[in-house]
Amino acid sequence: MGQIEWAMWANEQALASGLILITGGIVATAGRFTQWYFGAYSIAAGVFVCLLEYPRGKRAKGSTMERCGQRYMTAVVKLFGPLTRNYYVRALLHLALSVPAGFLLATILGTACLAIASGIYLLVSGVFC
Amino acid sequence: MGNWVVNHWFSALFLAVWLGLNVFLFVDAFLKYEKADKYFYTREILGFCSRTLRKQLDHNLTFHKLVAYMICLHTAIHIIAHLFNFHRYSRSRQATDGSLASILSSLSHHEKEEGPWLNPIQSPDMTVEYVTFTSIAGLTGVIMTIALILMVTSATKFIRRSYFEVFWYTHHLFIFYILGLGIHGIGGIVRGQTEESMNENHPHKCAESFQKWDDHDSHCRRPRFEGHPPESWKWILAPVILYIFERILRFYRSQQKVVITKVVMHPSKVLELQMKKRGFSMEVGQYIFVNCPSISLLEWHPFTLTSAPEEDFFSIHIRAAGDWTENLIRAFEQQDSSIPRVEVDGPFGTVSEDVFQYEVAMLVGAGIGVTPFASILKSIWYKFQRADHDLKTQKIYFYWICRETGAFSWFNDLLTSLEQEMEELGKVGFLNYRLFLTGWDSNIAGHAALNFDKATDIVTGLKQKTSFGRPMWDNEFSTIATSHPKSVVGVFLCGPRTLAKSLRKCCHRYSSLDPRKVQFYFNKENF
Repeated sequence: MGQIEWAMWANEQALASGLILITGGIVATAGRFTQWYFGAYSIAAGVFVCLLEYPRGKRAKGSTMERCGQRYMTAVVKLFGPLTRNYYVRALLHLALSVPAGFLLATILGTACLAIASGIYLLVSGVFC
Repeated sequence: MGNWVVNHWFSALFLAVWLGLNVFLFVDAFLKYEKADKYFYTREILGFCSRTLRKQLDHNLTFHKLVAYMICLHTAIHIIAHLFNFHRYSRSRQATDGSLASILSSLSHHEKEEGPWLNPIQSPDMTVEYVTFTSIAGLTGVIMTIALILMVTSATKFIRRSYFEVFWYTHHLFIFYILGLGIHGIGGIVRGQTEESMNENHPHKCAESFQKWDDHDSHCRRPRFEGHPPESWKWILAPVILYIFERILRFYRSQQKVVITKVVMHPSKVLELQMKKRGFSMEVGQYIFVNCPSISLLEWHPFTLTSAPEEDFFSIHIRAAGDWTENLIRAFEQQDSSIPRVEVDGPFGTVSEDVFQYEVAMLVGAGIGVTPFASILKSIWYKFQRADHDLKTQKIYFYWICRETGAFSWFNDLLTSLEQEMEELGKVGFLNYRLFLTGWDSNIAGHAALNFDKATDIVTGLKQKTSFGRPMWDNEFSTIATSHPKSVVGVFLCGPRTLAKSLRKCCHRYSSLDPRKVQFYFNKENF
């Protein structure tokens, strides 16, 4: 069990959270729910998270299956160097991004999922062990 | 196309009926909420409601995944619909325009008799978030959805293949999902008018005069509502009972004593275990789950059975391919300590009995996919020796494709012994096998060229010479078609999907249009 690279699962979880944020945001904005501007934020945050998490990182051990067409996004993500490479920064970033979406029921699911992804990244970042 | 229909008509029919049922039930429930009088007032506030429908039946992995996709789709629809519902309930609650919707919303949460209310949002200050997290439906909904999402993200092919434990243990969150689903509807938030109330206030007659409901002389009293009883338990009760029964059965089976009769260490770190267990009976192509408590209490690993049903023991060949297998092999290698205890669950898997029904069989095993063929070839051989009448097979063409034979040298030995036995019985033509090494280099090829004249192959030691590279299926199929112009040929594959596609294409191409002439049937059983 010590060989498991949890960051790979965190990546899948964060990608799913991005999609959920986008969906919730669209519902809230289209339905003009109360405080729907949080929904607009959620769409933007969701798109950002999806773009960031789309390139799958290379596994430490074994072969990695790239996601289709990920090299274009990889070039952009690499530009930010340690900001995107470091899992601790990523964990904090996801946590911060998830908070505003928590104010609206339509997007609160996205908040929960992104927070879970953030938690897994935090565990992997080596901050605790 | 014709061949596809013949091979798949049952699955296609089953899926069509299941999908049709789903569509029918959805439309039925939808129309009920959309049209029935009972929900007239409910619709006044909400517009319309939609329901999640799902059905659970687990026959194999493909169906499981299909059901999972449907669950995800319906969950999304369900959540979005309820988001709109809550938004409209909230708006109606806060409306002060004296419309029908706002009057209905203010209906009695304070009358204590069973709460004939319609709008779950009890006061204008209550937020939808508050109602979500304090109602049974809302809370269970959130828990269920998070469990579902975690299950799905850990079940992607990449995670399953690379980190199986993450998938396996996370997937057990389904317990929370099922529990949540069972109690999701208990609160009765979706409400319709009571029968009694319909007599005093039928919407067709009274809806328009809603401002006068409180007047003493009006014929219409205030409508009263009751919660719709929960229905999800009806869907999940039978499958859950079946599942619990199956787990108990598997636990009981796994507790039965397994006696290890023989341990063989093959070269290239392959461990063969021959075992006996009371009441164990297997068929060709099946697999078992093995657990070794001294290595890991909770891990169960699948292994294809490599023995034939005709033998009085069952065996598996274990290759070192990860933590658990390496630890197991090390545990058995130690001569001093006693043999570790193992538990066995199974056998599982679709039986490949069809192999014996074809006059001519083409068996293709690629890489690790060669393991079920050990069982099949051995069984065919036993049946042949005993002149078993169930065996219709007259000729077998076996294709073994792998990068290098090192890990399967034990299979090599099996082929050698089969070769010898056939010679002794004078039946050299029965089994025709070709070995294709796809991971060759110029050294190996050069060596082979130099030793061209030798009777046995230098790579494998078999009489049959090894070929290098991939088989040219067109040649193979046309040769077989010419040699057996009137036979039905069964093609069996255990290997990658791309290979399945090529083989299926060849089957269609080389099957004669005349049904009396040669026909190739591709069998898509999963080994």
